[in-house]
Amino acid sequence: MIKDLTINANPRDGIGKGYARRLRANGMIPAAVYGEGKEPVAVAINAKEIAGILRSDSGHNTIFKLALPNGEGEPATVIIKDWQVDPVRGRLLHADLMRLSLTETTRVSVSIETVGEPVGVKLEGGILEIELREVEVECLPGDIPEHIRVDVSNLNVGQHATVMDLIYDREKIKVLTDEHHLVAGVIAPRLAEAPPAAEIAETAAGEPEVIKKGKTEE
Amino acid sequence: MAEYKTPKKVKYRKQQRGRMRGMAIRGSEISFGEYGLKALEPAWITGKQIEASRVAMTRFIKRGGKIWIRVFPDKPITKKPAETRMGKGKGAPEGWIAVVKPGRILFEMEGVDEKTAREAIRLAAQKLPIKTKFISRKDQEGGGLV
Repeated sequence: MIKDLTINANPRDGIGKGYARRLRANGMIPAAVYGEGKEPVAVAINAKEIAGILRSDSGHNTIFKLALPNGEGEPATVIIKDWQVDPVRGRLLHADLMRLSLTETTRVSVSIETVGEPVGVKLEGGILEIELREVEVECLPGDIPEHIRVDVSNLNVGQHATVMDLIYDREKIKVLTDEHHLVAGVIAPRLAEAPPAAEIAETAAGEPEVIKKGKTEE
Repeated sequence: MAEYKTPKKVKYRKQQRGRMRGMAIRGSEISFGEYGLKALEPAWITGKQIEASRVAMTRFIKRGGKIWIRVFPDKPITKKPAETRMGKGKGAPEGWIAVVKPGRILFEMEGVDEKTAREAIRLAAQKLPIKTKFISRKDQEGGGLV
């Protein structure tokens, strides 16, 4: 989804973890801008602005403008290609921004949204298991959907929906994921309290077999 | 208390203890379910603790839902017998542990509502020796940002 939003990028004139940490302490993150056959540029951008884009409905598929440092012509049209997050604190650490041409098709991954409550869950007590949460699509940047929907309301226990069942504009969007790939299915509920016997090792069981031949200690 | 799964075959019976520096890089995002439990501290989690958590979660969610256990106790730990003088070699294998670093997803759950998942995961977290955090896929879809 194209957003009328311009983010300023500052030049990055240092390297290394010390410099990157100082940037982060000031609310900026290091980022790389590449694509469209142009030279990659190392920049520093405001972490909050990028986090806001990632949290928006269109998420990482938001297309926005990036004003490059040193007045390098027109602002570049970019998309967030990749990002790194601190696994404990959840802070943004780095972002990769890819330049896009609005007239050429591009490949992005779009999330799948399930619609409705399956019959198998409502009436038979089954469990809706989602196997695929994103599909790779090829389309013009202006046609990137926020989500691709799949209707699961008719699924009984043992039935499933595949990529073929996704609801999207087939003239504008080409889904690259295999059309037979499972998207969601309804599985039968587990029998109560039957612990999977194979999963539990007996406390009395001996030591595992040692693969290596030759000397076994002791 | 029963132990969670143990390795069937190993290359060596005993291992060195190692260090637990840094954070979990792999296994730090929810991959299968809708809700999960994230470790916030480094620790050795024993097979018995994993099994106790699994039982607590399974009992609470009863028939509904599906659980994934994202850690496996593949490291043998040894112990010397009581009242033994130091030396005379490394002790005998005593159990199995999983090395867990901060950020690691320990369990995942799907097929239950958020309230049930929160309670089941809270019960599981009580069996573990570390601080943990409940997370959901919704948080993760916003770029994994808190």
